[in-house]
Amino acid sequence: MATTAEARPLRAARRPGALELIQTGFREIWSHRRLTRYLVRADLKKHGADTVLGNIWWVLDPLLQMVVYVVLVDFIFHVGTPDYPLFVFSAILPWKWFSSAVNDGISSVTSRERIIKQVKFPKIVLPVAATVGGVVSFAFGLIPLLAMMVLFFSDRLSWYLLLIPAIAAVQFVFSLACAVLVAGVNVFFRDIANVARHALRLWFYLSPALYSYEAVAGRLDGWVGRILALNPWTPLFESYRNVIYDETMPNWPWLFALLVVSTIFLGLAMVFFKRVEPAFAKVL
Amino acid sequence: MTDRREGAPLPDYAIDVQNLGVRYNLRLTRQTTVRTSFRDLLKKREGPSHFWALRDVSFRVVHGESLAVIGPNGAGKSTLLQVLAGIIQPNEGAVDVVGHVSSLLTLGAGFDADLSGRDNIRLAGAFLGIPHKVMEEKLPGIVDFADLGEFIDASIKTYSSGMRARLGFSIATAVDPDVLIIDEVLATGDAVFRAKSKQRIIELTKHAKAIVLVTHDMSWVTEFCNRAMLLDHGHVIMEGPPADVVKLHEERSEKARIEREAELARRIAAVEGNQPTTAG
Repeated sequence: MATTAEARPLRAARRPGALELIQTGFREIWSHRRLTRYLVRADLKKHGADTVLGNIWWVLDPLLQMVVYVVLVDFIFHVGTPDYPLFVFSAILPWKWFSSAVNDGISSVTSRERIIKQVKFPKIVLPVAATVGGVVSFAFGLIPLLAMMVLFFSDRLSWYLLLIPAIAAVQFVFSLACAVLVAGVNVFFRDIANVARHALRLWFYLSPALYSYEAVAGRLDGWVGRILALNPWTPLFESYRNVIYDETMPNWPWLFALLVVSTIFLGLAMVFFKRVEPAFAKVL
Repeated sequence: MTDRREGAPLPDYAIDVQNLGVRYNLRLTRQTTVRTSFRDLLKKREGPSHFWALRDVSFRVVHGESLAVIGPNGAGKSTLLQVLAGIIQPNEGAVDVVGHVSSLLTLGAGFDADLSGRDNIRLAGAFLGIPHKVMEEKLPGIVDFADLGEFIDASIKTYSSGMRARLGFSIATAVDPDVLIIDEVLATGDAVFRAKSKQRIIELTKHAKAIVLVTHDMSWVTEFCNRAMLLDHGHVIMEGPPADVVKLHEERSEKARIEREAELARRIAAVEGNQPTTAG
């Protein structure tokens, strides 16, 4: 068997450095990639099997959410932009992935309490699986997006749509960093799910999801304007909208800056997670 | 095992524990929330901030040995197994476990209730870090040994506790460990499966594997183990031949029981002594 055959001394060891922790974290994610796959598949099976319509919900859910916002913004307030359904759908789709990564990430470690107390395995795979799980629903959401564009907004179809994976990659790094952070924090503070629910909603409204950044950038000054400018979701929503709605290139420098910041954030989140990981089995 | 690193001299033991101490921080182990943390900032908490679940524990297990760890509730048995499995880091002393450890400590407690038995075998294999190919080879054997019939493809939530334990035992012993660690050995399980698992345990000890198990079933200890260790309040009380250790454990539990009953009798007497004055 290809397992550790050498002696495994376990002493009150020296504290490993930050870079070492990041390196170990990534190595563990890679060596346990199949575990991640199983966890994601188990999660999908659960979500699909227990409902009558099964996976249909992944297609319907963003569409229904879109209807809510279209009714509110377009029909009641009359402030929507042309082709508003497509405008808002391009924001709902990535946001659903992000919010599920954060919400599932929060409970990812605590819900596996029993196995954590029984088997030694790298706990980092749990928030990773939570983030990867959202990719599947994101991919499913692309089906109604394409259907909608072909049926109703065919004039906005463009090759720029093929850039969606590049933007999604940046989002993945950012979402993963958030999921790893909240997964570790929730072990010690069990009520952050209550905070997160409202924080996520506020974050959504403080991001250019229902409105475009240009529409408000000039009007808002003070802290709201600053939050909007520094909000990681501003470049993400704008980029998705660029390729889906505006038929243009995304703002690459802006996106690249976010990638750099997210990578650093991910590194810090992993150092935090690896530092508190040894305490999980005792605290849970 | 054939793939032992050549040249590296292997120690002649499977497990070596020296002056092991494990400390729990009570402030952290209480379920904390942001709310309680704010409360605690305002109000200083009293009482001890930590306690030692294990202290000054030293022992060795050689290949082919099966060690039973017994003791009253809260003695530190499960904590000891968690340290051996590498789940908990010791605060003091050193633990050296040679080879691949299989630890499905509490058999079947970590299963995912919504998945089928077969999917849970694969998931457990992935948690244990067993390569996929190896696990697929072992799958039929595990299914066969657990002997669950058609239930193997039903979700675990339909299983009885005995069925869960059977599946857990099959997985833990099938992954071909050098060191096998089991908590609460077959608290449930019918006579047929008991006989089968006895056979498995004997086979494993014959192949020079080391086994450490925790059980409350004293007949298991005397039947299957060649050594026993009695723990109480985190300290080793006695270590030696199973029959002797079990005898001491039973004497001590009996004594504790008598003391508890005497205490209870005293309290009842005290209450009854007050009774006549109030009743007139």
